[in-house]
Amino acid sequence: MKWLNLLKANTRKEYLELKRYLPNTIAMLFTFYIVFLGLFGTIQFIGDPSTQDVNTQYVIVNYIFWFLTITVINSIGYEVINEGMRGTLEQLSMSPMGISRIMAARLISTTFINLIIVIVLLYISMLTSGQWLNIDVITIAPILVLTLISMFGVGFIIAGISIILKQVQAFLQILQFILMGLTFVPLSLSPVIAYLPFVKGIDLVREVMIDGLTWSQFTMGDFMLLGFNAIFYFALGLGVFVYCERVAMSKGLLAHY
Amino acid sequence: MDKIIEVNQLKKSYKKRRSKEYIHAVNDISFTVNRGEILGLLGPNGAGKTTTIKMICGLLIADSGTITVNGINIREKRLGALNHISAVLEGNRNLYWRLTVKENLEYFAGNRGLSRKDVRERIEDLLVKFRLKDKESELVNRLSRGMQQKLAIAVAMLAESDVILLDEPTLGLDVETGYEVRELLKEIVRDYKRTIIISSHDMDVVQDLCERTVIINKGKVVTDDKVENLLKLFDVRAYTLNLGGLLSDEQQQLLLQKFPQHEYTPDTYESILQINLAKSEEIYDLFDVLKLETTPVESIDRSIVNFEQIFMKIVKGDTADEMAQSS
Repeated sequence: MKWLNLLKANTRKEYLELKRYLPNTIAMLFTFYIVFLGLFGTIQFIGDPSTQDVNTQYVIVNYIFWFLTITVINSIGYEVINEGMRGTLEQLSMSPMGISRIMAARLISTTFINLIIVIVLLYISMLTSGQWLNIDVITIAPILVLTLISMFGVGFIIAGISIILKQVQAFLQILQFILMGLTFVPLSLSPVIAYLPFVKGIDLVREVMIDGLTWSQFTMGDFMLLGFNAIFYFALGLGVFVYCERVAMSKGLLAHY
Repeated sequence: MDKIIEVNQLKKSYKKRRSKEYIHAVNDISFTVNRGEILGLLGPNGAGKTTTIKMICGLLIADSGTITVNGINIREKRLGALNHISAVLEGNRNLYWRLTVKENLEYFAGNRGLSRKDVRERIEDLLVKFRLKDKESELVNRLSRGMQQKLAIAVAMLAESDVILLDEPTLGLDVETGYEVRELLKEIVRDYKRTIIISSHDMDVVQDLCERTVIINKGKVVTDDKVENLLKLFDVRAYTLNLGGLLSDEQQQLLLQKFPQHEYTPDTYESILQINLAKSEEIYDLFDVLKLETTPVESIDRSIVNFEQIFMKIVKGDTADEMAQSS
């Protein structure tokens, strides 16, 4: 019950802040759409006409996931930096729920709210391009959940690093492009990258949305890798975060003001 | 007495930047806090107060030593111990500026695992008590500094924890708001019966609210006593007498015998005599000396010592006698 209250409180806060920073939220969505139009236009006017449709579909899925990873992973880093500077990070750290649980609640609530935005953007993108993807919710949902768990792991790592390093903004800017690499590069390029965080999940979602695959068409290896990826990166992220929290508490780094 | 907080041989050092040297912020500090007590944790800047408070709140890990809160060792069961503590650290830094007063209260309650329904009545009560009811829908960034501070204290009160730590509750507030916050703290002490630790530079807060003070300097406890005892200990009987003429040689000789620490500034028309009395009855001995030549006494002033002066003297390492002399 306490967990649920924690989650509800953080979801409400995320929603309220999104509402209070409405111009900022609108600007973010507008930028997303403009960049999408740029990508779409490039495919239409410069790209190979024979692969135009498939390329557009790839761009929609990859771009949507990139947006999601940025809003989930990058924003948790910025949030930790801001909270450290404001002093609220210390206040959160004094909660008997524990800062790692609060961060988990933040990650889940941010994802939940951004997922709604992403779905709207997905439909706007499909409408603009005229390319309708296979939105098979039953197949996509479990893959997405496991992919998000892997993403949360990376989010925890970024949050942990942001607690102990004060000048992490430059890294967060570079991170956007690393995330772009992880979401855009197809698995067919090198099977090894399937072991990187959330790459396998995004690849499977791509197969469902573009090629129309269902659960029964995936191999046991796909499921194993997806599950392993989620558990491994979540555990790693949590471990790194807890370690960083200990370092911050030893060195007095919970406040950056 | 039931001890709710026990701090035992606490040490904390920080490594200096780009150096191999360490700063010993807290160096072997020990003290206890009784249940329901209001303790003042005092010290000059850099004395180690905030470091100590942050270690009690579980925000800093001590290099060595132990802290127990309600019998729970904070190092071993940090989250368990945090159930019994809430704190206001450096005023208005504890709040979300883009949330309203009420939303802040609800959010922090949620972060302790409490639902909005659970705390609805408590929030209403606090809003009324803290005179924030008419501001409940106001964004925190639009509130005055004093109101932000009151809200920060309300957030700490919301948890209904046994111990509340207030780090510099009146810092940066103007005189009027400082007074208002001080009055509010008095009400909390009176109505809520919690154990409160106040770290402050505002000696009025300490003298008004605290029953006992622990004074820290250079990372060490220099005094741990009741405010009342300290005031008594340093209760200086220092008098300044303006005399309408000079003292005779015999009178000066007698003064030297009875009050060796006195100071005499002779002047044909208005001599000044400064004297410290160990006991109040000694004033009669002084009058006996003055009576010998019927020296006219124009005025007598007694120096009164406040807690701020006591604090300064303790920090400088003066004793009560030295203080009496310098007064």
